[in-house]
Amino acid sequence: MTILPITRSTATSGRLGPQPGEVIDRHRTLDFTWNGRVLQGHPGDTLASALTAAGERVLSRSYKYHRPRGLSTASYLDPGALFQVGDEPNVRGAHRLLREGDDVRSQNTWPSLAFDLKAVNGLAGRFLAPGFYYKTFIKPERLWPSYEKVLRTFVHAGEISPVPGTEVYDKRYAHPDVVVAGGGPAGMAAAVAAARAGASVLLVEEEHQLGGHLRWGGSAELAALRELTAAVAAEPGIEVMTDSVAGARFDDNWIPIVQRSLPGVAERLVKARAKTLVVAAGLIERPYVFAGNDLPGVLLSTGVRRLVNLHAVRPGQRAVVLTANPDGDAAAADLARVGVDVAAVIDARRGEGIVAAHGRGGVQSVELTGGRRVEADLLVTAVGWTAPTSLLNQSGDDPVYDPRTARFRPDPARLPDNVLAAGGIVGEGSTDELVAHGDATGREAARRAARVARRLAAVPTAVTTPRPPVPQPDAAPVVVPELVTPDHPELFTNGTGGFVDQCEDVGLKELRTAIREGYDSVELLKRYTTATMGPTQGKLETVNMVAVLAQATGRTMAETGTTTWRPMYAPVTLGALAGRPSEPVRYSPMQPWHERHGAVPLVAGQWIRPEHYGDPAAEVTAVRTRVGIIDVTPIGKLDLRGPDIPKLLELLYVNKWQRLAVGRVRYGVMCAEDGVVLDDGVTGRLGEDHYLCSTTSSGAATVWEWVENWLQTAHPEWQVHVTPVTTAYASINVAGPHSRELVGRLVEGLDLASEAFGYMNVRSATVAGVADCVLWRIGFTGELSYEIHVPAAYGLHVWERLMAAGEDLGVTPFGVEAQRILRLEKGHAIVGQDTDGLTQGFSAGLGDLIKLDKPDFAGKPELAWQHERGGHPRLVGLRPVDPTIVPPEASQILDRDGSIAGRITSSRMSPTLGRAICLGQLEPDLAEIGTRVTVRHPDGRDVVAEVTDPVHVDPEGARQRV
Amino acid sequence: MSETSEEPIARSPIAPQAPVVRFGWEISARAARGDLSLSDETPLAKVAVRAPFRGAAADALGVGFGRTTRTDVDGVGVGDVLVVGSGPGEWLVLAAPGRGPDLAAALTRRLGSSGEFVSVIDLTHGRALVRLAGRAAPQVLAKVCGIDLSDSVTPDGAALRTTVARVVTDVVRDDRGGPPSSVGPSYLLHVERSSGQFLAGALLDAGAEFGLETGTFVGLAGRDT
Repeated sequence: MTILPITRSTATSGRLGPQPGEVIDRHRTLDFTWNGRVLQGHPGDTLASALTAAGERVLSRSYKYHRPRGLSTASYLDPGALFQVGDEPNVRGAHRLLREGDDVRSQNTWPSLAFDLKAVNGLAGRFLAPGFYYKTFIKPERLWPSYEKVLRTFVHAGEISPVPGTEVYDKRYAHPDVVVAGGGPAGMAAAVAAARAGASVLLVEEEHQLGGHLRWGGSAELAALRELTAAVAAEPGIEVMTDSVAGARFDDNWIPIVQRSLPGVAERLVKARAKTLVVAAGLIERPYVFAGNDLPGVLLSTGVRRLVNLHAVRPGQRAVVLTANPDGDAAAADLARVGVDVAAVIDARRGEGIVAAHGRGGVQSVELTGGRRVEADLLVTAVGWTAPTSLLNQSGDDPVYDPRTARFRPDPARLPDNVLAAGGIVGEGSTDELVAHGDATGREAARRAARVARRLAAVPTAVTTPRPPVPQPDAAPVVVPELVTPDHPELFTNGTGGFVDQCEDVGLKELRTAIREGYDSVELLKRYTTATMGPTQGKLETVNMVAVLAQATGRTMAETGTTTWRPMYAPVTLGALAGRPSEPVRYSPMQPWHERHGAVPLVAGQWIRPEHYGDPAAEVTAVRTRVGIIDVTPIGKLDLRGPDIPKLLELLYVNKWQRLAVGRVRYGVMCAEDGVVLDDGVTGRLGEDHYLCSTTSSGAATVWEWVENWLQTAHPEWQVHVTPVTTAYASINVAGPHSRELVGRLVEGLDLASEAFGYMNVRSATVAGVADCVLWRIGFTGELSYEIHVPAAYGLHVWERLMAAGEDLGVTPFGVEAQRILRLEKGHAIVGQDTDGLTQGFSAGLGDLIKLDKPDFAGKPELAWQHERGGHPRLVGLRPVDPTIVPPEASQILDRDGSIAGRITSSRMSPTLGRAICLGQLEPDLAEIGTRVTVRHPDGRDVVAEVTDPVHVDPEGARQRV
Repeated sequence: MSETSEEPIARSPIAPQAPVVRFGWEISARAARGDLSLSDETPLAKVAVRAPFRGAAADALGVGFGRTTRTDVDGVGVGDVLVVGSGPGEWLVLAAPGRGPDLAAALTRRLGSSGEFVSVIDLTHGRALVRLAGRAAPQVLAKVCGIDLSDSVTPDGAALRTTVARVVTDVVRDDRGGPPSSVGPSYLLHVERSSGQFLAGALLDAGAEFGLETGTFVGLAGRDT
C-alpha cells in the first residue's frame, strides 16, 4: 500500500526508433492533456501507448484499494488503463486511439493520481474482504442510502455528464453467408477462402487492424500479414469490420456486432443473421498470480510486444522475463533488440520461477525462486493462454480443461452444423498451419452456407426473373487439418499472494477466505467475491480463479469447471443497444394547417394532434354558440364488407344490430369476455353488405385485432372482410348551432334538413367538390354536428374550404381539450378514462344498452353475473359545492367513514356553466343524485361535491337533434 | 397552395419539395441528380382485394402471396397495372394516378364472376407509397428493416409485409418500375397514410450516408420509358 506521492517513472522510457510493424504515423503529432498537462502522441497511438511513451507509468488507481496500476496487457482488456476522456467515463485507454485535443484524466482519484488519499483503503484491507459490504451495511436498512453515498465516493469509476450527449448511435441489419469472428491469420484465411467459394463474408476484428499476433511478430509474420491483408482486400465479398466485436451468438446464428470508430457515429449495432459462423478468436494471454503482480511495470509478454512493435514504446529499462512458452522468449528477444537491459530470463519450462515483485509505485526488484533479488523496473510474464470460447459456449459447446496444454479447449465436434472454430482457439501451429486451418474452415463454412442458401432457394416462387445462381456445395465436407497443441506448464499462481482479479481488486487471500467460508463452487465464488465481474468479464481472471478454487478444494480444474460465458462477449453501451431514437408518429392530412395556425401539439398514442389553438375555453364557447371544426382523423375506422356483418356486430357489441337500416347509424359498446368495457363507437350501414365501423382513436388497432380474432378463430365460416381505413378518410367534425348552415354551403346533392338527414343517420355526398365523402349526423359535443369523412388526400382542401366558407359564421377550429370539455358537459364517457381495466359494462353507465336478452355476445356471461349480483360502482356526475374548485382527475371519493368509495375520472371547468363539473365512479349507496360526498385531492385537501346526473348540459338532447 | 382554392387538390402525406400539381395531385418537382432516390408514389391508384387464398379469383389475379406480376385489368393498361400478393388472401393492385375507381370497378367485374367471396376497396387515399431505388437501396433499407434483401431471398418481384423503421410496411421489389435514371434494386414501400411522412423521414435519415435524395414521382412505367 502506498499513500506517499508517486511521481512519474524515474526511467526515461519513451519512444523507440522506427519498428518494422509499427502502426503510428510519426509524421504527425497529436496534442492531448493528461490530468491537465499537455502531452504529445502520434496518430495510431492508443491513449495508453502515448502516455507510456511520455514516461507515464502509473495510469490509474485500483477499484477498491486505490493501488497504483499501470499497463499489463496493453490491449482492450487492460484493467490498468480505464480513463475519463472528456465527458466519457471508463474509456479503455489501451485500446482507444488517441485524437487531437483529447482531455484524458485518471478516474476518481483525490486529490490526484499521484497522491490519492483514498489509498487509505489499503490500510483497511483486512476489513474489505469479500462480503464486507453485505455483512457491514445490511443493517439498519434505513441507513443504506447514506452508506451508498459514502461508498460511491470510494469507487473507482468515471463520471457521466448530466447533459445529454450528442453522440449518434446507429443500427443496421446484415445477412452474410459467413461471419468470421476474429481477424487473425486463421480468421483472415477463413474469410478469404469463404469469399473465394462465393460466400458473402463479414470479418469482425476487435483490434484496429487485422492480423492478430502477426502484427507484433518478426519479418516472417509481417510478410504473412501483408499477403493476407492483400488477399482480404482483393475479395469484394468480404466486409471488414475492425474495432468491432461479435458480442454473442444466439439461435440460428443471430449475432450482434458492435462496430466502433465509424465516421460521425459513436457506435453501430449490426444485427447479423449468418448462415455460418466461424469463431477465430485466437488466444488471450493469462496473467500470473503472485505477490506484487499488480505493480506498475508487471506486463504480459503480449503487452510488451504490442508496445514495442506496434507503438514503438519502450516499456522499461531493465527487465526480468518469466517465460513458459515461445512468446515469452520472443518478448525477451524484442526487449533486447530495442536496448532494454534483460537482467534475467526465468524459464518456467526448466522449473525456474519467481516469488514476488517488490517496489513502491512500481516494480523495483523481482524476487526469484531461491531468494535472489534482481533490480528491475519491468517484469514480463508469459505463463499461458486462455481460449476465449464464449461464442462456442453460447453455441452449445462446453470446453473442458486440458491439463496437458493448461487451458480449457473447445471440441468442434460438439458444435452445431452452422458454427465452426478456426485457429488458435482450437490449437496452435505455425503461421502456415494456422492459415491452412483457417482456409479449410472457411471453405467448409462456405460449403455449409451454400447448403442453407440452396434450401432457401428451393422455396417455390412465381417470379419469372431468374434468381442469381446459388453456389454449389462441395460434394464432400472439406477436410480441416489438425492443429497440434504442444504441452504447456500449468502456471496460475505461485501461492505468494497478489491479485487474481485486478478489475475488482480481488486477491488470492480473499478468494481463499471466501472458499473457507463455504463459497466453494465457481458460480458462488464469483458472486460472493465479484471476481471476474469487472470490465474484462473474466477473460483474464476466470481460469486463475478456477485454479485457485480447484487447489483449495482438492478437485481437478475439469471438475471445478468455469462460470457461464454469457452474452455479451464484451460490455456494450446502452447507446449501441438503443440505436437511433426513432418513435413512429402519425399525422392527419390537416397537420400542415394546424402547424401554420399555432396548434399546441398533443401526443396521443402515436398521433400528433392539436390540443388547442391558444384558448380551449373560447373554443368551447364557439362551438356552443356558433360553429367549430375539429380534426378527428385518428378515430378508428373499419370498412366491413359481406353478408354476415350483422351476425358479427351482434356478437361483438352488447346491444342489438340485426335491424339497422341502410343509411342509419347506431352507437355500440364492446366488452371483452370478462365484461370489461373494451371500446365504443358508432357504426353506419352504407349499403346492403357494406358498413363503416368507428372505434376510439386509441382502440383502433385493438378492435381490428379483436374482430379478426373472432372471425378467424370462432367464425371462419362467416363472410365478412374487415379492412382498416382509419387514414383513408380525413375526419372533420363540424359542431355548433351554425354547423348545418356551414356544411350546407359546401355540400352537393344532399338535403341537410332534419327530416331528410336526421340525427344518427349517414349519407354519402360531395363536399367542397370532393366526391365520396361520408357524412354522419352524430355528435360527441352535444351540439348539432356533422362528422365528415373525406377521402384523405382531400382532407386539407375540405378543411380549408370549411374555414373559408364559415368565416362569417365565426367558424373556429377547436382541439382535443375543447372536445374533452364539451363531451364532459354532455356526460359522454371516454373508454379508458372514465372506465379502466376493471370497469364492467354496468359500471360504465351502459345499463340501458346492454341487452342480456340477446342469445349471445362477447362478455355476456360476465355481464349477466354483474347484473345479477348488483352492488357495482356507478358512473355519476359530480359538482363541487364550491364551483371554482376543479378536483384533479384521479382524486379519491370518500365514504362517510373515510374509506375510499370512488374516484374522479374526468374533471374540468365548464365554460358553458361557469363552474367545475366532473364524472366519477362511485359506490352505489352514494350514487343517488343529490348525495354529498367528500373528494380528497392528491395533496390531501378535502372538498365537498354533490352527485348529479352525468349529463351537465342539455340533458334532453335538444341541441343535437335539431 | 392557397388556403381558399376551390379546385380540390389531392395531397400526399409526404411534404413535397418544390410542389407542382399534376394529374390533380400535388407532387414534388425536384428530380434526384444521383442514382439513389426516394420518390413519393402516393398518387398511384391503390386497390385492395380480399379473396380466398386459392381459387378462381386468385387465379384471375395471376399471382400468389409474396410475389408480383404486371398485368392488364380490363383496359386499365397493359403492363401498367402491378398486382402484388401482399398477404395470405390479400392483394394490392397498383395503377396510374386517377385510375382507382376504374380499376376497382374492373376488378369487381372480373373477380365477381368467380362466385367466391371477394371484396375490392379503393385505398388510394388510405395509404402512402414511396419508391426507394438505386444501387445502395438495399443498404439504406438494411438500416431500418430486418429482412434479408439479397437477390437470392428478395429478388425482383418479391413482396412481403414487415416493419420498416418500426412501421408496418408492404415491401415490394419492383426493379422494372425504378426511375429511368437509376440502376439497381427498386423497392415500393406501402404503409398506412398517416405514417407516410415519418417513414419518408426515417428513410432519408438512414440514407444520408449513402447520398439518398428525394426524387419526383416516377409511376409504374419507370425503366420502360
